[in-house]
Amino acid sequence: MDDEQYQKLKAFFPNISFTEKEESHFRSLWSIRSFSQYDLITEAGSIERYFYFVLEGVQAIYVLNEKGEKVVLGFSYSGSPSGVFDSFIGQQPSQTFLEALKPSKMLAITQTDYLSLFEKHSGFYVWGHDFFQNILFGRLSREVELLTLAAEQRYKAFMQRCPDELKVIPQKYLASYLNMKPETFSRLRRSVDY
Amino acid sequence: MSSLVVTPENQIQRLNSILVRVEHLQKLDFQTLTTPPGPKSWNIVEVLTHLNIAYGLYRPKFDEVLENTPNIQKESNTFKVSAWQRMIINMQRPKGTVRKWKMKTLKRFEPLLDTETMNEGKVTATFVHFFDSHLHLKDCILKSRRKDVSKRKISSAIGPIVKFYLPEAFEFLLCHLERHMVQIDEILKKQAVVS
Repeated sequence: MDDEQYQKLKAFFPNISFTEKEESHFRSLWSIRSFSQYDLITEAGSIERYFYFVLEGVQAIYVLNEKGEKVVLGFSYSGSPSGVFDSFIGQQPSQTFLEALKPSKMLAITQTDYLSLFEKHSGFYVWGHDFFQNILFGRLSREVELLTLAAEQRYKAFMQRCPDELKVIPQKYLASYLNMKPETFSRLRRSVDY
Repeated sequence: MSSLVVTPENQIQRLNSILVRVEHLQKLDFQTLTTPPGPKSWNIVEVLTHLNIAYGLYRPKFDEVLENTPNIQKESNTFKVSAWQRMIINMQRPKGTVRKWKMKTLKRFEPLLDTETMNEGKVTATFVHFFDSHLHLKDCILKSRRKDVSKRKISSAIGPIVKFYLPEAFEFLLCHLERHMVQIDEILKKQAVVS
């Protein structure tokens, strides 16, 4: 990992102060993994081996419904965390797939190393508190949106907050995330300003 | 009968759960793995050997087709199985914990293990062979996601009367695997009753 990549990773863990030795150890725990477009990063039925920090690319996390169709639960992209977290922590087979929708570069840390961060450095508990709080609030607001907003409002709300790199992935993934048919998504994209 | 649309992702998910299942089987003791529940039944190692034989008949065909089909960029991986193949596949597919259409094994798929000389080493080798074969199957399914799979058919191991496109062959093998996982459940259940 080069210095620029490391700075991006470091920014994901703000407020953690290391000694020089600690920092070089922290840095050594991460390795770069690269994926081509449409590679399956994690397969359902397998155990998630890594917690990821995304350097480049967009990834989708999805489950298959009874018809075998992909139902998108969320995305990760440059600067965000990624991985199938429940499988990673519980070391149980994943229910979901993680797929690269664009060529992707990600920094990866194993479960043992991830857990060791908390043991060795109490600062990570503070980070963890903020991190999980943000994830929880994000999921809650998405649930409210899905349950209360009409398709057009869901589309608008999402497009307003979504980063540009997410707007260029295949539409069917965005449509699925917003719980609408690809045709509806396509019509909204043509007719609705946000 | 309703149509059958298969996707590689669905197949990978099912294959992974079978691989996890067989990893658990590997932890069972020698006695459990090599004792048949009845005089005419297979034991677990024989079931796995049968699965290894079946896959062995497809393996070179998969390699050949995948090697000679160029990579393409594609967004959708769904594949609609045609009627005749769908019928053949659905005959294999277990319904819940029931194996429909009990069938007799053709000679060439018989495990033919010598139960007298069975030992721990042979059991281990069967598992190694199983994982090698079925990780190869997974690799083939993954590779097929980047290929136009609607160009080439292969003859099934049943014979040229059934020809499969790759996704159909994968589906057939998965249903066959799932069928035999049900059989293994039955073997374990019967053993529990006997012991």
